[in-house]
Parts: sequence; C-alpha cells; structure tokens
Amino acid sequence: MAVPRNLRRQPANGSLVSHCTHHHIAVFLLTFFSYSLLHASRKTFSNVKVSISSQWTPSDINTTTLELQPYELWNSSHLFPNAEEATLFLGTLDTIFLFSYAVGLFVSGIVGDRLNLRWVLSFGMCSSALVEFVFGTLTEWLHFYNKWFYCCLWVMNGLLQSTGWPCVVAIMGNWFGKAGRGFVFGLWSACASVGNILGAFLASCVLQYGYEYAFLVTASVQFAGGIIVFFGLLISPKEVGLPELGEEQEGSAEEDANKPLISNDEDEDDQNYSIQAPDTRNQPKAIGFFQACCLPGVVLYSLAYACLKLVNYSFFFWLPFYLSENFGWKEAEADRLSIWYDVGGIVGGTIQGLISDMLQKRAPVLAISLLLAIGSLFGYSRSPNSKPINAFIMAITGFFIGGPSNMISSAISADLGRQELVRGNSEALATVTGIVDGTGSIGAAVGQYLVSLIQDNLGWMWVFYFFILMTSSTILFISPLLVREIRFLLHERHLCTQTG
Amino acid sequence: QPCRPQAGSRSGARHHRGWVQFGGLVCPGPVRNGSSVAGYCAARPALELQGRCCLSREPELELELGNGVLMWDPSVCSDLTENPLENIPNTSFQGFTRLQSISLPRALECPGGSMAWDLNTTHGDSRTCQGQRNLCNSSGELAWLCPENSQCSPDGPGLVQCMCSGRYHGYKCLREGTFPLLLFYGTLGAVTTILSLLAWGSQRRKAKAS
Repeated sequence: MAVPRNLRRQPANGSLVSHCTHHHIAVFLLTFFSYSLLHASRKTFSNVKVSISSQWTPSDINTTTLELQPYELWNSSHLFPNAEEATLFLGTLDTIFLFSYAVGLFVSGIVGDRLNLRWVLSFGMCSSALVEFVFGTLTEWLHFYNKWFYCCLWVMNGLLQSTGWPCVVAIMGNWFGKAGRGFVFGLWSACASVGNILGAFLASCVLQYGYEYAFLVTASVQFAGGIIVFFGLLISPKEVGLPELGEEQEGSAEEDANKPLISNDEDEDDQNYSIQAPDTRNQPKAIGFFQACCLPGVVLYSLAYACLKLVNYSFFFWLPFYLSENFGWKEAEADRLSIWYDVGGIVGGTIQGLISDMLQKRAPVLAISLLLAIGSLFGYSRSPNSKPINAFIMAITGFFIGGPSNMISSAISADLGRQELVRGNSEALATVTGIVDGTGSIGAAVGQYLVSLIQDNLGWMWVFYFFILMTSSTILFISPLLVREIRFLLHERHLCTQTG
Repeated sequence: QPCRPQAGSRSGARHHRGWVQFGGLVCPGPVRNGSSVAGYCAARPALELQGRCCLSREPELELELGNGVLMWDPSVCSDLTENPLENIPNTSFQGFTRLQSISLPRALECPGGSMAWDLNTTHGDSRTCQGQRNLCNSSGELAWLCPENSQCSPDGPGLVQCMCSGRYHGYKCLREGTFPLLLFYGTLGAVTTILSLLAWGSQRRKAKAS
C-alpha cells in the first residue's frame, strides 16, 4: 500500500502553500532584514579598518625625510605609534566581540524565551545601534580616543547584537512548520550574506566623508529597523488568532507534518494537541538552560556546529588575506572574490534544505555534504593562480560547507527547539538556538586565533589540513544521529516494500 | 656695549603665532649705516625705525620682555647683527612666509640654508639674506612630496608644509566634502515612519495584547 507514503510526501508542498498568509511574508521579510542590518554593521567595522587605523596613528615617518607640517594635521594622533600596532588592536577588538557575542548568545536565548521576543529583538537592535554610534561617531566628533573605552563598548555591542539570532530563528520557527522548513530556512539564511553586502555598500558610499559617517549611517539604519520591527513584528500566529503550529492538523492525513524531523520514537499521538480554547490555555513555561542542553540532539549538534562554524568563519575571514598573500592579488579584488563563497553557501543551504525536506531527514544530507566538503577543501588548497577557477572552487566549497552550516544554525535549531518533548509545554526555541549558535561562536573565536598561529608557524597547507580535521570532527559528532536516521529510513523503506 | 633689555618694554609673554623666542637680547642703538633694514623702513610710511628695529606703528607689534627672554617679531624687526646668537634653530622661523630680508651675524647661516634665499651677501661681520624662495617650486634636493590629497605650500625660509587641497579636510586630509546630515535623516525618518505605519496597520493592529 503506497498510500501512507504518498500522503506523507504531499504535506511537504501542500501545507507550505496552503497556509502562507501575508503575515508569513511580513514575518519572513522583517526577520530577514533585521538580522541583515545587524550583520551589516559588523561588516562596516571590517571595511573601515584602514581608515580608523590611519586616524589613530601619526604619519608614516619612513616615507618622508622630514617631519610633515603642520603638526596638528599629520602627527597629532598618537593612540598607536604605527599601523601594525593599530591593526593588532583591531584584531583584538574582533576577538573580544566574538567572545562576548558567544556569551551573549547563551543568555539571549534564555531571555528571549522568557520575555517577549519582539521586545528583546527591537531593544537589541536599537541599543546596539546606539553603542555603535558612540563607538565610531561620537568618539571621532569629540576627538576622544581611548583603548579601554573602545574595548568596553565593543563588549557591550557583542552582548547586545547576540539578541538578534535566537529571536529571529525562534520567531521563524513559530510561523513556519516542519513542512518546507528546510527550504524556507535555507532561503532565509541568506540574510547574513545580504547583510554583508549591504554593510559593504553603505560603508563604501559614505567612507569618503570620514569613517565616522559609515558608523553613523549603519547605526541609524539599524535603529530605524528596530523601530519598524517593534511596530510590525508578530512573534507567533496566536497573536492574531491564527492557529498555532501543531494545532491545525487534527485527524487529517497531515498529522505528522509538524512532527519535527528529529524524533526519537516513531509512534506518537497527535491527538493531545487539538485546538484548545484560548482562555484555558496557559502561557507555555520556558525551560531552563540545563534542561535545554539535555534535549536530545542539542549537545551533539552544538559541538558539530562549533567545528563547522570554525571552518566557515575562519575560511571566510582569512580568505582575502590568503588570496592576497599567496597569489599576490589586491585586497579589494580578494574581497570581491570571497563573495563567491557566500553565494555558494546560500545556494547550498537552500538546495540542501529542500532535499532534507523531501527526505524528511536532515543528518544524511549533512553528512554527504560534509564528506564532499573535505574533497573540495583539499581541491581548493591546490587551486591554481587563476581567478575564474579559484572563484569556481570557492563557490563549490561554500556550497558544501556553508550549506550544512546554514542548516544547523537555522532549520535544525528550529527542529530541536520544537521537538515533541517540549512542544506545547514550554518554550525552548530561542534557548536552543542560543546554545547551538553560542557554542558555534566560541568555536569561531578560537579558530581566529588558531588559524593565525598555524599560519605563522606551519604555513597555509597546514591550515587547510586543520580545516579538513575540523570538518571530519563535525561528521563524527553527528554520527549518532546519522546512524539513527539512516536506520529509520531503511526501516521505513523495508516497511513500504513489504506492504506495497 | 653690553646688551640690555630695551627700555620701556613690558614684561609678560604674549602668545602670538609670529613671536620668536631667542636666548639672546637685541641690542639697542641705531640701525647701522647701510643696513638694508634702514632702507626697508624708510621706504614704507607705515613703519618706523625704533632702535635697530623697523616696527609698525600699530601697538601689537611692540617688543615684549618675558622671563628674561626677549620676544620679537622678526617679520619686521630684521636686524639681528651684533647679537650673541650662536645657533638659530631652523623651526624658529616657522610661519614667516612674508619675511623678505634678514640681517644676521656673519657666523650664522641664513635660516633654512642658502638654498632658501635668492640673495646672500656679507658686509663686514654681518650677513644679509634677501628674497625668500618658495621651495615648493624648486626641483632640486628638496623636491617635496606631500602625501595624497595635500599640496605643498611655503612655511617660512627653508620650510614647507603640506596643506589639504581642494575639498579635502580633516586629519591627514582623509575626508572629502561634507556629509548631508539633514538630507539623510530627513529621508530615513520619512521612510521609517511610512514603513512603521504600514507594518503596524497590516500586522499588529489586530494583535492581542502582549
């Protein structure tokens, strides 16, 4: 009897289209652009590093035989004696930001689940914008340059920016059910890359007026985005009276459409989750941090994501440097070429999300993609000095690494946070997203330091071997889940061939 | 005769960009015969000869005495001969772009070196430097290379400075033009208001209290 199989396959397309209201579109766009704006301001900081470094140092004495006059115009800024020290400090600021961002992710997830997600998100966006304004614009207008002040502000910025991701993933998880979740989230994860492009564009437009205006523009736009989000974002369908996920399908063949793709037991009963009258429904209780950690799959996926985000982030961050050092290409060209990695990641996330939706299993798709990623990393390390070939291999690598990375941080986090163990009784989505991404960010922060260490001492080939090692560790961490899901798939197929 | 502070000078330092500080004192007495300073002073009715200095009649260009050191404005008082000066630091003449003639003890070099002056003559034990050159134009040893967005301009005898050219301004001439703040915030405010109203109207208006 092939009926159960067909029915099970239908919902993936049917329910995605059937209950896509204008609210869904608005939520998609608002969360998409709010995270883009948060990411844009991070990219702004990276793009103005050269200008800030000039502002903090006196003129380079080696290039001129005599000291340049007038003194106030060329030599009066002595925050750092030369450009190398300034660059070192800027790298330190990056690391500080990453670590405070990682810590903040753990906290923000918990806070988001307990407080109103909309309030947390708009508060995070607006206050982060204010901190960025003080960091870049106010210090320049007041000519107040102080290293400790910059460090403190950037720690605050990391903590405030971390409110973004758990909240937006949780809100998306509230609106978009398991059916089609992989595809929707894959498409939606493009928000980080769009934010990068937006930030680079805004910064390059106003950099001629001074780096302080780059900060002013991105901070102001982010603040405006926070206001729009506050007025327009609906965090859950029940806010407008629409049925919440898991309540719509009662007694229909779509009953397992909202069963998360990661499940422990195969025979569960959906009858408990029929629509309840609103006034008798209690506010779901948020679960604790350790309870969230103990949910099945959370720890494994967090560790896997730590290894993967290390590779993803280090590859993306060090790529322009590697290209200009290894092949001698100019930094602007290397910057532009590294966009292909991002593009590969977006396409990979979307396609792999779609495939995992159709299979209704995520881990096998991840594993295959990561195995192929090892091959492409190896190929990239041997890539010739040719821009088209390099860009092509870079896009392929982005496809195989960025794809799983996007999936784990978005769709799979949503799966984990809405599994049947917690659904209906407590809110766990933001907490789980915070845990997964927080662990990932710690991995990324450690990776920044390790890559520069390895590259200094052993060379670029060993950096690629290190990336291959990390990718293999990712596969290792998800192998228990992989085994379970493959076993389930085979069992399912065996059942169908037996009965059909 | 020994050098003394000139009678009638006031104490207290006056900080003005044109003042130069020397460890020595200007000796009173008339300008020597044949000194170029005398000719320079006689030719201009706005100036008058006082002692050895050719001063303008306006009060702010008087000599002043502060902390045992005489400060004077060499843009007009140009006869330093018979002064116990040993070495004039090059930067002392920073800013004197209009100094066209100066007389020094013969032992001293012309400020900025002989390349900085058109004419370098010696009479007895005094040396006269005349006609300050603009070193920005010269294509010799001091072919000056100013950084990007700046151009060379003279800053005194033998000295040059790099000032921002065109619309560039700010530290190291990195900034160009002025940011249109009003236009930016006007547009942003309008767009934000419209989008917020749109979002609230279509989304949250029917939302239950939260």
